[in-house]
Amino acid sequence: MTNNPREGIAGADESAENSHSTQQTTWREYFSFSTDHKVIGVQYMVTTFIFFLIGGLLAMIIRGELITPKLDVVDRPLYNGLFTLHGTIMIFLWIIPFNVGLANYLVPLMIGARDMAFPRLNAIAFWMIPPGGLLLLSSFLLKSGTAQAGWWSYPPVSLQSPHNQGEVIWILSLVIIGISSIMGGVNFITTIFWMRAPGMTFFRMPIFVWSILSSQLLQLFCLPALTGGLILLLLDITAGTNFFKPSEGGNPILYQHLFWFYSHPAVYVMVLPIFGVFSEILPAFSRNPLFGYRSVALATIALAVISTVVWAHHMFASVTPGWMRILFMFTSMLVAVPTGIKEFAWTATVWRGRLHLLTPMLFALGGAVMFLFAGITGVMLASTPFDLHVNNTYFVVGHFHYVVYNTITMGIFAAIYFWFPKITGRMYVEGWGKIHFWLTFIGANLTFFPMHPLGLHGMLRRVSSYDPEYQWWNVIASLGSFLLGMSTLPFIANIVGSWLRGPKAENNPWHATGLEWQTSSPPPKENFEEIPVVTEPPYHYNDFGETEQPEAAGQE
Amino acid sequence: MESSTHKDESPIPLEALRRLLPNWLKRFLPSGGGRAHDEHGKSMFGFTVFLLSESVVFVSFFVTYITLRLTTPHWLPPGVKGPDLSTAVMINSVVLVSSSFVIQAAEGALKNRNLNRFRLLWLATSAMGIFFLVGEVREWLGLDFGLSTGLVGGTFYVLTGFHGLHVFTGILLQMIMLVRSFIPGNYDQGDFGVSAATLFWHFVDVIWVILFSLVYLWRA
Amino acid sequence: MRKILNSLLLAAFIAVILLISRWVGQQAYSWMPAQGTAEAKQVDEIFSFLASIGTFVFLGITGVIVYSIITCRAPKGDWSHGHPARGSVKVEILWIVLPTILVLWLSFKNLSIYQQLNIQGLPPVVMHMHMVESADAATVSNDSKPVGEGIDVFAKQWAWSFRYPGNVTSTELHLPVNQPVSLALHAQDVLHGFYVPEFRLKQDMVPGRTITLTLTPERVGQYRLHDSQFSGTYFALMEANVYVESRQAYSQWLAQAASREPTIASNQAVTEYTQATKKIFNSRWQTVQPAEPSVVNYSS
Repeated sequence: MTNNPREGIAGADESAENSHSTQQTTWREYFSFSTDHKVIGVQYMVTTFIFFLIGGLLAMIIRGELITPKLDVVDRPLYNGLFTLHGTIMIFLWIIPFNVGLANYLVPLMIGARDMAFPRLNAIAFWMIPPGGLLLLSSFLLKSGTAQAGWWSYPPVSLQSPHNQGEVIWILSLVIIGISSIMGGVNFITTIFWMRAPGMTFFRMPIFVWSILSSQLLQLFCLPALTGGLILLLLDITAGTNFFKPSEGGNPILYQHLFWFYSHPAVYVMVLPIFGVFSEILPAFSRNPLFGYRSVALATIALAVISTVVWAHHMFASVTPGWMRILFMFTSMLVAVPTGIKEFAWTATVWRGRLHLLTPMLFALGGAVMFLFAGITGVMLASTPFDLHVNNTYFVVGHFHYVVYNTITMGIFAAIYFWFPKITGRMYVEGWGKIHFWLTFIGANLTFFPMHPLGLHGMLRRVSSYDPEYQWWNVIASLGSFLLGMSTLPFIANIVGSWLRGPKAENNPWHATGLEWQTSSPPPKENFEEIPVVTEPPYHYNDFGETEQPEAAGQE
Repeated sequence: MESSTHKDESPIPLEALRRLLPNWLKRFLPSGGGRAHDEHGKSMFGFTVFLLSESVVFVSFFVTYITLRLTTPHWLPPGVKGPDLSTAVMINSVVLVSSSFVIQAAEGALKNRNLNRFRLLWLATSAMGIFFLVGEVREWLGLDFGLSTGLVGGTFYVLTGFHGLHVFTGILLQMIMLVRSFIPGNYDQGDFGVSAATLFWHFVDVIWVILFSLVYLWRA
Repeated sequence: MRKILNSLLLAAFIAVILLISRWVGQQAYSWMPAQGTAEAKQVDEIFSFLASIGTFVFLGITGVIVYSIITCRAPKGDWSHGHPARGSVKVEILWIVLPTILVLWLSFKNLSIYQQLNIQGLPPVVMHMHMVESADAATVSNDSKPVGEGIDVFAKQWAWSFRYPGNVTSTELHLPVNQPVSLALHAQDVLHGFYVPEFRLKQDMVPGRTITLTLTPERVGQYRLHDSQFSGTYFALMEANVYVESRQAYSQWLAQAASREPTIASNQAVTEYTQATKKIFNSRWQTVQPAEPSVVNYSS
């Protein structure tokens, strides 16, 4: 096996008929306790997509309520439960585990391994997700309803009965999902350190693998702080302890620190893999190497490290001492630097390229541009005086939705389209993919852009009713959100239909570099006929002008 | 195989740095690619990463304890004496910390394939662990404060309780390993279970040393 | 020839986006509510500045990408490679160093603005707090001599009340214009937040501690005070009217309020709790009961 792309292409034509010969994954396997990382990856991705649809449905109801200033669609406890569960589901049951699923599928292939380091642990980790999610949803059936204190669960509100019953379920569900995450973290770190193919040094790994390494390190060393905080919260509700009860000398601000110590890095756990996805797709569809590969790799690690010391910018308006507000302002501004490195690298990669504007590329470009906007509003939010004005308003909601939807979810769609032929061995319909992109791009901007002026004018977040002066922008946002909801329909039809009946895909339809493209579509059970030997860094889209000859470097 | 002429190779000489590390650390960090066949090393790496992650939960509890103790107006409610550095507690601590040496000796005996010595020392470790747990429960029963007593109660019982849970888990792991030591051919594929249970026990002891200092040695 | 044309094009592009950025910076002031305090002016300035820079970066990068999309399309099915450059040390150093300098400069600018805000009662590193027994508890630790008028602000689920010098209470916040006022913030049950958009300041309120926010209203008018930290079921209804008026009008109002007997002031949360109307989806989930309505001299 060599890394020569041209040889790979020639090989692809020959072995196209081999890609579906033996050891096909049956549909039954996807419902079983399989230890094959490819099956587990798909299990994660499909399961989390279902939770995405559920979370999206909750969002539709919320936006339906917010079309009018007064409360008319739902009652107040239900509204509060809706936004609490919407946030919780989207973060902990959609983005974070979807990324784990994508990484599960891709990382062993990208590093030239046959599976993850601990295949059985991998399966156990997946099978904790559906029960955790179902437990969370079951809280809708309680007499006092779900948790209603926002996805942050700040005490003392989260301690108040009667909705602290729903809060207990919320905590337990998060603990189950959290244990699954820690198992995944152990698996990924060990896999990346121990299972790389001969010759695959760290600086020959694709950026996607670097991004999983960084984000899983963050999970491992920051999530336990939230676990600790949630255990204490649970004890306050059920066992009469006083950790966060002000009337008994407890300190609710301590909870905020424990919560955000994890939850800020959590946003990087969510976005770093998507930066990795962009870094794979943009070179492939620009036919250029990733510009500044090493800086991007180092920036990925730097981003993870710096992200552990910015958490208190979520608490600028809280009982945070002045010196702490200033310190975290500086660190939060600084985090823009490694992020900027990536944006510049992507731009330089696309520059003077030979662009193919196919669906994965459209989503990746759209996501990268909208992330630019999100990053700029992020730098604004890092400014303490400005943040004191917009903290807890819709400006923040707009900012983070530009990240989690307009960047991350778009990036997830990009990834699905890009690796769909590899995973399923079939090709999706390109025309519908483009339609999906435009509906999503327009819908996402219509929905989330209006939130910025709303926040500047003081509309608070988490309100179930608002002053009439805010109605105009809210109507636009709600209509946009309905468009966004509808835009998932062509996607689902395309993916399901193509998976069942699409045309067979070649091994490397995008003529991309990367070890996953050097094996069949879908890969055989053991991933590779023989474990490849790696001799050069990734993204060798460099036929013209490189001093090294790819053929010579490809000798075993 | 490793080309250093390509522009995009590592800016930092990772391989060279790795060779400078002490042996016990080098064992955890594989070089290059293709060492997946070292099952024991791979599993110990994973288990170590897990323990490091788990320790952050304890760190969050320690931070909680320190913060609350420093910022609460009345740490000890009127009439409450708080945790007492009694002789019993001191003996308990000595027993627990010493058991780390015992379990290390047990693992050494296994490496020399001295199964009987291994089982004896292993059982002794568990006995010391059980002694510790019993002593802790007795201490709890004799205290003049509960979970809901101000903040001293919550922090004390969460710290010692969570730690005690880990001691209990450690003993459980040891029991399982002890039973498995009687299965013929158990160690043909390596002794990861014993190594992991040993490391886990050391982890439990280190946590205790920190906990002991913070709770019992820190006088009001 | 080609090179000169390219340089001209680049210069023109930069000039255009500079102009647009400047324009956006000027427009930014109109995206904010009216400037109600001295602090508001500075916050708006920093926002305008950030908006300009943000526009410049956004248009610059998006422009390059759009230009590439327009001019660098590969023919369908032609998967040959583009330019081979894998990086440039000079360029990469540039785009690490310049942004670092920029964000450090922004941080220092912001630091000087923040230092002019006057918020007391936030904790130093280590301290011993005194629990609030009554609503008159002293502010905490560092010396917090109130500047000018001192008004107590009380927040509970889900209504505001205010106490003025002379023990006059109201559900409305009246402030004399052009005079620094010290607001002592007291939360009585859960976390709340004090926020008037025109003032540009926000401070969370925690039960058990008193935080003092000092500000100088500079614009006569009527504003809305919002609870900015999610506080439970009827959080959205927790608003109050704020009147910034001349010293004379303020004193007149205060005297008038003092002359009234204290009565129970109903609030929207209590009203809705007792007279809930049917919605499309009714969960009928039990909810936390609103706190007892305040008894004040003056309510609207």
